[in-house]
Amino acid sequence: MHHVMGVDGSYPLLVALWLLPLVGAIVCWAFGPQLKTLSGWLASAMLGGSFVLAVLSWSAGTQNSGGALGAHQALLSWLPGIDFGLLLDPLSLLWTFIITGVGFLIHFYSMGYMDGDRAYARFFAYMNFFVFAMLTLVLSDNFVGLLVGWGLVGLASYFLIGFWFERPTAVAAARKAFVINVVGDVAIMFAIFAIFLNVRSMAFGDVFAAVGSLGSPLLLTICVALFIGAAAKSAQIPLHTWLPDAMEGPTPVSALIHAATMVTAGVYLIARCAPLWSASHDAQMLAGTIGAVTAIAGAILGCVQWDIKRILAYSTMSQIGYMILGVGVGAYQGGIAHFFTHAFFKAQLFLAAGLIIHALGNEQDVRRMGGLRTKMPFAFWAILTGVLSICGIPGFSGFFSKDQVIYGALAHGHPWIYATSIATAGLTAYYMFRLLFITFLGEYRGNAESHAGASDAHHAHHAPAWIMNLPVGVLVLPTVAIGAALMWGGENSPWARYFAPQFAAVTLPAPPISELVTSAIVFMVVLAGFAVAWSRYATKAAQANAVERLRTEAERIPAVLTNLFYFDAFIDLVFVRTAQLTGTLIARILDPHLIDGAVREVVVVTRTAGAFVRSLETGLVRAYALVLAFGAACFIIYYALVAGGVH
Amino acid sequence: MLVLATILLPILVGFALFALPRDDRTVSRIAGTSVAIATIVMVVAGRDLEWSFRWLSRPFEAAFHFGATPISFWLALLLALCTACAIASTRIPRMRNFIALMLLLEGTMLGLFLARDLLVFALFWDLMLIPVFFGLIGWSAHPATAWRYLVYNFAGGLLLLLATAAFGVIDGSTDVIGRAGVHVVGAWAPWIFAGFAVAFLVKTPVWPLHTWMPLTYTDLPAPMVAVVGAVQSKAGLYGLIVVALAFLPEYVQQYSGVFIVLGAISLVYGAAAALVQHDAKRVVAYSSLSHLGLIAIAIVSGNQLALQGALVYMIAHGLFSAALFMIVGYVEDRESTRSLVRLGGLGWANPRLAGAFCIACLAALGLPGLAGFAGELVMLLGIYQAGYVWPSIVGLVAIVLAAAYFLRLYQGIMNGPELDDLPVRRDLTWLEGLAVAPLLAALLVVGVQPHAIMAAFAGVVR
Repeated sequence: MHHVMGVDGSYPLLVALWLLPLVGAIVCWAFGPQLKTLSGWLASAMLGGSFVLAVLSWSAGTQNSGGALGAHQALLSWLPGIDFGLLLDPLSLLWTFIITGVGFLIHFYSMGYMDGDRAYARFFAYMNFFVFAMLTLVLSDNFVGLLVGWGLVGLASYFLIGFWFERPTAVAAARKAFVINVVGDVAIMFAIFAIFLNVRSMAFGDVFAAVGSLGSPLLLTICVALFIGAAAKSAQIPLHTWLPDAMEGPTPVSALIHAATMVTAGVYLIARCAPLWSASHDAQMLAGTIGAVTAIAGAILGCVQWDIKRILAYSTMSQIGYMILGVGVGAYQGGIAHFFTHAFFKAQLFLAAGLIIHALGNEQDVRRMGGLRTKMPFAFWAILTGVLSICGIPGFSGFFSKDQVIYGALAHGHPWIYATSIATAGLTAYYMFRLLFITFLGEYRGNAESHAGASDAHHAHHAPAWIMNLPVGVLVLPTVAIGAALMWGGENSPWARYFAPQFAAVTLPAPPISELVTSAIVFMVVLAGFAVAWSRYATKAAQANAVERLRTEAERIPAVLTNLFYFDAFIDLVFVRTAQLTGTLIARILDPHLIDGAVREVVVVTRTAGAFVRSLETGLVRAYALVLAFGAACFIIYYALVAGGVH
Repeated sequence: MLVLATILLPILVGFALFALPRDDRTVSRIAGTSVAIATIVMVVAGRDLEWSFRWLSRPFEAAFHFGATPISFWLALLLALCTACAIASTRIPRMRNFIALMLLLEGTMLGLFLARDLLVFALFWDLMLIPVFFGLIGWSAHPATAWRYLVYNFAGGLLLLLATAAFGVIDGSTDVIGRAGVHVVGAWAPWIFAGFAVAFLVKTPVWPLHTWMPLTYTDLPAPMVAVVGAVQSKAGLYGLIVVALAFLPEYVQQYSGVFIVLGAISLVYGAAAALVQHDAKRVVAYSSLSHLGLIAIAIVSGNQLALQGALVYMIAHGLFSAALFMIVGYVEDRESTRSLVRLGGLGWANPRLAGAFCIACLAALGLPGLAGFAGELVMLLGIYQAGYVWPSIVGLVAIVLAAAYFLRLYQGIMNGPELDDLPVRRDLTWLEGLAVAPLLAALLVVGVQPHAIMAAFAGVVR
């Protein structure tokens, strides 16, 4: 008996939605030189088409007939017991909206940002390929299909981090990201082994139907393996070190892959496997704790960064920590809500940061910015709305989702995770306003000749400014208002009703602190973070000798923070160096001297036996002859003794 | 007759090429490629045919009996495909002789895979060493490598011959490959098993019998190592399945611990060594040691899924090894070096070469969607199912290492800034592209539809 999730049947629209970006990727890759700048329009159009199809699939994805939720389309039989198919239910539909919708805006923006690049068409081929891979990940109806998408998004991420592959730092960052993600891939493979051995199927429906028959140690093993995969993809401690380095990629890549979509795949995985997680309290404890630790560690490291993209990268790591702890402890709707709003405001922040980086001639150090509020007012307002949203200022989108997560942790009985996530909110306010103040207030401290409007003079064939400004402007709306529009009203909000059939309702004892009081506490902590940032960077005294003050601040950062809690050093020492040392030992000593030594013993023996043998080659000839003669002798003796006796 | 013709055609044309009056590159290339393509067609057409001719009746029955088994069909097809692709883009001095050797290599290996008689199998086992030996003698700077290759493999071949003779005497016939119900028992059986096992492990190779392999693979010209590394390495594994596993299953089971330990050591040892090599060919050679170790574990694990996965992975490994060696050969043709220290930045001027190399490396590191992933996943699933949890975890660790060393290989050659001291050559020619494209396309097809190959195992395992 197969438990298919979703209403089984033919749903060709879903296949078209899934394959359009692949078509775009292949065309851009094969005909890039001919298409030139058309490739940007083509790739954007493919995503636009996918987004329209996703909107048209709304009713199919949310249909609910007798327990079967969403639409299902069978594809092919890969192996006996492993069939591939696509599943569109509320969960995957939501991700599809973000992937294609925000993806479309970022593709559009990229036409301006990547203008004039030597591999313009290749960029769009990779971007479209990424979207195809990400859709494979979220639309698959089984674990192997999910793993295929999981691996392919890792590949797309590798290509795009190392897009400017003349830079050795980009090449190294790409390899690091890929290898750490393969650690996650093989962990999911291990989970697949355990699942297949016990369930004999890979389909989500079959596996979730069999949860009751799996013992709790086995369930924990599967959840831990899946969580390692989630942690690698979603940059959770200790597998987070690739994400800040991934900022070597072009800024639109950071916005799409390393903020809005791919890095949230771990959140998707846990939400998808909600029946497994809900059945294992230990797995919930693990995911909640790691998420909380990542949230606060990312926020702490975000406070001491100077590269605008790295500040945003650590902030992403911290925010994904929120999402993971949300879905980890069982507050699925809250964790997913934070993914949803974060996709808008973080894409907004990255794209707006891209405007600055683009205008300043690839300057990314905030110490060499300053005073940009008057020079780039559009970027200022864009970043300001993003900052207000990420800090969770009441009314903005981030407020609704973040408070759901924080309160969810308490409601599910994890007071320490609750406290940690409140502290993280204060740190978030500090480092985000720090970014805003250093970048936009005071005097300009850089030396880029071409900032703001002057950049046009430098690039004769520059794309018009509106191509990059338009997507940023469009994103302002959801950054500010989508939370209020969808998540206002608790149980009766559109958000809660949308997900009600997806996640089984659980009744929890009322926590000692109410949701309203929680929001008030969080707001106070956020205000405190803001006040510290204001006093350090925004007051007249702070701006009077900003260059000097920032230099002293950089010098005073404790070593443990400049070394990023020594995670990189630890991984390098324990894993990378050990592997290289073992390899060197084998290649230099074991293989040529010890193991091969046995062979040369034979040569030496023959050499001493025949004193006239001079060279190595002839020594080997002797050895060869010796073996041959010995073998022939054995053969003859054997025949004489045994074979003769038979006849 | 078609089966016999499949084997004889490349051998006869190979000898005929030696008789060609002068070293005509075009004629040699066209003759070699068309013969190899013809063998592809003949292998497919002769899939269900057999041909037999009685050879010995005393002391045991033996026959020149040829015909594909479901397993050997795929290996013969792989061999014919790799040979055609390798010959098509060969650029080498003394082309006529080289292509003649390539055809002799193909013919003798076809003989090995299509043999249904154990004695004929053992005969071709030794014959297929000779073209490689002359390839090393004629086209490498180190004759010692040729001798080392021959000593190692001939020693293995001799053990195989002894074991075969003993087998024939006890069973009464060596005309047994692919036949059900043949079972060797008695006091000699362990010795026969030992003979087969050592021969197969040397040929594969498995640690610690592998030291001939990195040298041979490094010194052989690229088109020949594409065939040797891709297909000859499967001879031992094929023997393990159709001889050891089929006729002596209880000994395979009894000594599976030894095989698994050796396989697991090969897995990690090869991967660690591949991490630090500077010679691109050596990276691929040590990666082979690692991958072949995993296949050996899968074969002896006694699990149906693991065996099916092993066959898929044998084909996948053949396809990507051939592509990797050929492309490294193209790079060496252009830049006269294979050193990762000296190479770099080729991707800017050679996007097509970089693209092909990238696909081959990704298939080799087990990217989901390509053939290597399908094979690895099913093999490890089977190994895990058989109760060997730790070997399956070692296999997973090796996948992580593979990602590291294959990306190091790819990036070391194709990425980074363009180097001033490397001459900029033209991108992949259409002939080179056409030669490597079928291998890459096959990797995708097998990755998406692996069950066609896996069906070959439906009736083999009890």
